[in-house]
Amino acid sequence: MNACHTRSGSSRIVGLRRSWPLLLAAGLLALPSTADAARIRGRFEGFRALQNPVWAEAKDPKNHGYSFREPVPTVRAEFRRPFPHIPKELCIAAIAVGPQKAQPPVLIRVGGGRTTPVTIVVTPGTRLTFQNTDPFKHKLFGVGIKTFAPGDTGPGATRDWSVPAAGVFEIRDEAAPSLRMWIVAEPNVAQAAYPSMKGEFSLNVQEPGDYVLQAYFAGKKVGPATPVTVAAADVELKVPVKVNDKASDASAAAEDKTKATDAATETKEGAK
Amino acid sequence: MVLSRFWYVLLGLFLGLSVFLLSIATSMYNRAGARAMGEALSSDSQVVAWYLRDDARQRSGRLIQFGVDPDIAKYLQKSSDSEAKVPEEAREKLLAALKKVNASIPKDEQFDSVFAVDQAGRVVAHLGYEQASGLSDFELGGYSVVADALRGYVRDDTLILDRIYRVVTRPVEFDMGALPAGAIIGARIVDDRFARELSSRTGAAIAFYANGERASSGAPEGFATGNLDQIVGDMSSLEQDPEYKDKGRSKVRTIGGMLGVQYSRLPGEAWQLGGGFAVARMPGAVDGPFGFFKAADDKDKQQANLPIAIAVAVAAAAIGILFSVFEHTRPISIFKNEAQRLAKGQTDQLQPSRFRGVFRKIASDLNDGMDQVLAKGGGPRRGPADMKQVLGDIPDQPQMSAFSFPGDPASMPQPISANTPPRSVPNAPANPKLPRPPGRPGLPAANLDATLSSEDASAPRRLPTPPMRGAVDGAAAELAEWHAVFQDFVSLKQQCGESTEGFSYEKFEQTLKKKNEELITRHGARRVKFSVYVKEGKAALKASPIME
Repeated sequence: MNACHTRSGSSRIVGLRRSWPLLLAAGLLALPSTADAARIRGRFEGFRALQNPVWAEAKDPKNHGYSFREPVPTVRAEFRRPFPHIPKELCIAAIAVGPQKAQPPVLIRVGGGRTTPVTIVVTPGTRLTFQNTDPFKHKLFGVGIKTFAPGDTGPGATRDWSVPAAGVFEIRDEAAPSLRMWIVAEPNVAQAAYPSMKGEFSLNVQEPGDYVLQAYFAGKKVGPATPVTVAAADVELKVPVKVNDKASDASAAAEDKTKATDAATETKEGAK
Repeated sequence: MVLSRFWYVLLGLFLGLSVFLLSIATSMYNRAGARAMGEALSSDSQVVAWYLRDDARQRSGRLIQFGVDPDIAKYLQKSSDSEAKVPEEAREKLLAALKKVNASIPKDEQFDSVFAVDQAGRVVAHLGYEQASGLSDFELGGYSVVADALRGYVRDDTLILDRIYRVVTRPVEFDMGALPAGAIIGARIVDDRFARELSSRTGAAIAFYANGERASSGAPEGFATGNLDQIVGDMSSLEQDPEYKDKGRSKVRTIGGMLGVQYSRLPGEAWQLGGGFAVARMPGAVDGPFGFFKAADDKDKQQANLPIAIAVAVAAAAIGILFSVFEHTRPISIFKNEAQRLAKGQTDQLQPSRFRGVFRKIASDLNDGMDQVLAKGGGPRRGPADMKQVLGDIPDQPQMSAFSFPGDPASMPQPISANTPPRSVPNAPANPKLPRPPGRPGLPAANLDATLSSEDASAPRRLPTPPMRGAVDGAAAELAEWHAVFQDFVSLKQQCGESTEGFSYEKFEQTLKKKNEELITRHGARRVKFSVYVKEGKAALKASPIME
């Protein structure tokens, strides 16, 4: 375990580099794949019905996030939703039957109004290194976490924090309200990965055995738990992992229905 | 005096009323100024908010020029298609395209910074944001304003990064049936230049603040920008303002007793970060009644009715002077003249009928006082007496005075020698026009010239101490004196044309005796000397207690 993989599915050992793709890879990779590793390939479905909680809140006029917000008519309505940027926000984890060994430090990139990744699944005790990639300071803190008090992180600087126990932890930034990160500490997690923009993912599992594939979004489980038995050969999931539940579907449908009047209402309320 | 006093009271009341009215006017003026300032601040605050929104809308229109540029759309799509890394070609081409489009925008409508972002939120190219130069992994995709643009919305936001930025975004489409290829982001730095521009267009003094500090400010002419520094100290208590907390706009607050300020939150992320702007004004107030002189301009002074004010002042002064002359100067002048006449001997007494009010009473009292003094035998002389002026023409031969001197009856027939001790001035009428008491038969007339010798005039005159005799002699002398007084009285009555019919000595003696006993008892006098004189044309009798 301890390895996430890139969108292409190829795993590599990397260190902390200045280049952000490499940093991202370094954050997402924990252990190198071996010749014995097996790949689990699959595809997410319905992820556009998910809503990034930060963006969903921001579009509510009551939050005074803008003075005007209007849809561009040439953009199709199905795209005008606050669906997440899944390569950073939707995490697929392979959960083993028993507890897994501790992971090496993981690099978390802080910049552009969010962290990369936004949701991460790790074993308890994993050390996270937050690196500021913005040209201005951030002030990260853990919500309700005494060991992660607000502190300045200057441009290019890093800040370490170790996940204390199993559970879900939320990290925020006093200098950027849009920045919210969720850390899921799961003792049995063997591997985690992120999909491509199209929803395709690939997990490298080191040890053969029985696993459960579980998707996480915004610190919560989304979609069904999918049991997978890994042997020497790669596993191709024939059924896509649906991450939109009924509530999400209903919400999406309702949003489609009201999309015509949505913009006008937002504009009016924004003007107020 | 009544009119003068009434006028003084009236002037006092008017002065008090004026002060009271001025105080009220000051209070009303200040209150009206504060209210006007509050309304103006609310107006300023709304105008600034509208301006910010309108400016963002207009500038979002400028983003269309970027969005429709074929190179920008094409290379953003190319970057979005490359999930692993932004192609260098895309960076170069986009930067060139951004520069080209930005150059076509009028200078006063250009953005301070422009960013081209692909679907992943990565900044493919940017202009005017040197802080991010060399950062190949620079991205903006986490901000909701960028995420919205990447999902088909045009909107604005206020971001607080290293500074405050007003940001507008819109999607850039390459394939109409697919997700936008990326987004274009225009930003304006909210610095002093922005604040000054805003101030010049709205007429309000304005300061932007973030993280508890003033970020920028601008003010119209005549308003000291340094005043806006005071908002920093006031902001600590700003979060306690429920209206600011809930509605994003505070009540009008007064800093340092003068500066009126209203705070408003900026829309966007800055709202949550405590970023906002404050509009400020100085109230139209005066620090007291005399403050109106300083506050009034030439136009105000021209509109003031100065002629009426001068006329009222002159009229009030004239009335006061008139009353003063009528009730003060003129009576005193008359009194002075009469007193001078009296001093010169042109009159024997003051004429009360010539005076009015209290002066009449004073004159009457003075007359009575003089009579009293004369009745007591006169007061000490303060200088050589003009006997002729006091007593009128003195007869060549000594004659009986209206006043006889008490003493030894045996000595009475004796003429008073020059060595006789000083005696009181005889109670004779000074007015020569009045009838003089006739001489009394049987009684030698006092030698008045000897009595009032000049060498004794300055010394206190005392009645001569009578020699001690028996009680019988004293009673006989008294009876003899009363007889003489009776004859004088009858004679004076006849001279005054009064009837003396039925007027007997017995009745006269009873009256004198009664009066004699009464005065001796009341004053403890040794005896009482009676004399006659004319009062208001009639004969009158005067009793003078002799204490020695």
